Amino acid sequence: MSELTPRKDLLDIESLSLDEIEYVLENAVPFKQLFQRSVKKVPTLRGKTVLNLFYEPSTRTSSSFEVAANRMSADVTNFTISASSVVKGESLLDTIETLQAMRSDYIVIRHQAAGVPGIVAQHTRASVLNAGDGYHAHPTQALLDAMTFREVYPDFKGRKVVIVGDVLHSRVARSTSTLFHKLGIEVAVLGPGSLIPEGRHDFMQRFRSWDEVFEWKPDAVYLLRVQMERQEGQFFPSIAEYHKMYGMHSERVQRMRELGCYLMHPGPVNRGVEITDEAMGYEKSLISTQVENGIAVRMAVLHWLKPETQHD
Amino acid sequence: MARLFKNGKIARAGSAELVAVDVLVDDEGIIESIGPDMAAPADVEVTDCEGCLLVPGMFDLHVHGREPGDEHKETLASCAAAALHGGVTGLVLMPDTSPPVDSGNLVKSLQDLVSEIGSIPMLPAGCLTKGRKGQRLAGFLGMANRGVSMLTDSGSSVPCPDLLRRCMEYARDFDLLVTTFCDTATLTKAGALNEGKVSYRLGLPGIPAMSQEIAIDRNIRVAQHTGARLHLQQISTANGVKSVFCAKEAGTRVTCEVSPHHLLLTENDVIDYNTHFKLAPPLRLESDREALVAGLIDGTIDVIASNHSPHTEFEKSADFGSAPFGVTGLETTVLAIYDGLIKPGIFGWDLLIERYSKRPREIIGLEPVVIEEGAKAEFFVFDPAAETEMKREYFKTKSPVTPFLGKTLSGAIRETVVAGL
Repeated sequence: MSELTPRKDLLDIESLSLDEIEYVLENAVPFKQLFQRSVKKVPTLRGKTVLNLFYEPSTRTSSSFEVAANRMSADVTNFTISASSVVKGESLLDTIETLQAMRSDYIVIRHQAAGVPGIVAQHTRASVLNAGDGYHAHPTQALLDAMTFREVYPDFKGRKVVIVGDVLHSRVARSTSTLFHKLGIEVAVLGPGSLIPEGRHDFMQRFRSWDEVFEWKPDAVYLLRVQMERQEGQFFPSIAEYHKMYGMHSERVQRMRELGCYLMHPGPVNRGVEITDEAMGYEKSLISTQVENGIAVRMAVLHWLKPETQHD
Repeated sequence: MARLFKNGKIARAGSAELVAVDVLVDDEGIIESIGPDMAAPADVEVTDCEGCLLVPGMFDLHVHGREPGDEHKETLASCAAAALHGGVTGLVLMPDTSPPVDSGNLVKSLQDLVSEIGSIPMLPAGCLTKGRKGQRLAGFLGMANRGVSMLTDSGSSVPCPDLLRRCMEYARDFDLLVTTFCDTATLTKAGALNEGKVSYRLGLPGIPAMSQEIAIDRNIRVAQHTGARLHLQQISTANGVKSVFCAKEAGTRVTCEVSPHHLLLTENDVIDYNTHFKLAPPLRLESDREALVAGLIDGTIDVIASNHSPHTEFEKSADFGSAPFGVTGLETTVLAIYDGLIKPGIFGWDLLIERYSKRPREIIGLEPVVIEEGAKAEFFVFDPAAETEMKREYFKTKSPVTPFLGKTLSGAIRETVVAGL
């Protein structure tokens, strides 16, 4: 592989070149093979520090980054700040000042406001890894999704994926669809009109029913998590109606089975809402693989990014 | 001391022709004579204006002066300095201060502050509703007696159509101009920029165009029903222009304004979460921008108003969703319009003077500013061949926050000349 221009931060998918995407995805493979060994650690980041800064609760993503950093032999500090405990008056710039003083080499950040990782990246020499900002981006999720899809479809170009659910409020939908599109995978969406924004990417055609979806013959169905606390009554009438219209249940699983179609979900799953218990047991579900690949991809990203702290 | 401005060309409303003449201003600031090749009398300071234009002072109908209450953002003194620096020689102060200007006494105290500064006219507007809360009428009589320039809840829309109706019915009898910021709060919600491709890509909550359009239509209807004089602030979409056009056709007493930013920029300029592009109403589409320019030219849009909204750089350094709306405009409007629209030949100086000097004064009942013998000097010297770097040091405002920061604009304002200053 040709030499890449060193990159400090991973903030979104849009700014990545195909070479960079290939580099990360290919490097994730040997990291994943490591997980089969008794010693799962490499010394790559020995002496380096990773700060896991989560302004939104997220056990999964935060642990996945922690495990990835540990397996790279970095020292990890976890920092969870609940939104309510953020002292009023402490501005973002003040927070960044504090972070800078901690001298971390990598800052993994999740924030409820879109664009915050970018602001942090501008003001620090550490590498910033966006672990999800508002509805904007979740690039490592997209990379792990691509890795997972390519494992089952080495001939991934021209394959089809339908993303189902709340596209409007989903950073996962934004990042994953952008990455899949860059890789030449066709992306469509299914969901209620109130949750499928008009301003979405031109390349995403929209379906109105599962019948239309199955007629299209997707290679994978990607279910999004329904944010129940936010949406009921505002964007669709009830969970029951949502489940009826867009949920995954045994009848629809049967149609997927006939098509040989895989099932993906970024987690955590709302059983009984976007997917039923029986559907969770579908033999072509990739949900656990996604979790496992998340660690490998995040190791590959840590390995790839070059903090500017090294020249101190 | 008397001054002679030699070899300049006078720009005016109503004619695209630029007339080359000398202008002699006496020591009291009155334009004594205008004519070709005047010899400088003794004791006269001569300013060579070769290649430059003499342009009548502009008037901005939409300025947030921030005093009292937010003096860290702007004071009336810094506001006046910024205005003069940008060729603006008069303006209307929005009443959204703390406390809001909602009574005759507050109008009076603001007028006193303005005369203490002794700079350009800065005319207070008063609130439509008490405390700008949108719940009950403010004291119109006291404000009217103090000569308030207009009534507006500036920055927030009167939410209840019934209350807006009562405001207009009541204001009509005083022949007070009712000015409304057009927004439907239940549609705008926590939106940060235009709802569309860019808001989707940036993952930020959007403000749909219909949020403003519904408010424009509603306010026009109420004006038609009540017969009050209505001025609509900051039109931002093609549909909004259409609504105003139809209302005017129907004989409605309505005027409207557009900001220089909406004439020059679109949502595509909102890149990398730069909060210097976070405006209310938000920047819209290229097709909207084109309709706004066309509306300005054909007269559907009466005036340019900058919506000068100072917030400190620190306040604007928050993330895009949390940062306050608004940027400054007093020092950039003339230059930006010259750079983006006059220089490329979209329209001439006569239109800018009509829309940013003559018509805004007319709307609030002031005489136009002209460069004529016997008139008070109130003009600026503009050098079209020069360039202006929009760096922090350029600005007189306390909050140099503008989409043009860091850019270089064609043209330069050499000085603003006002009788008595």
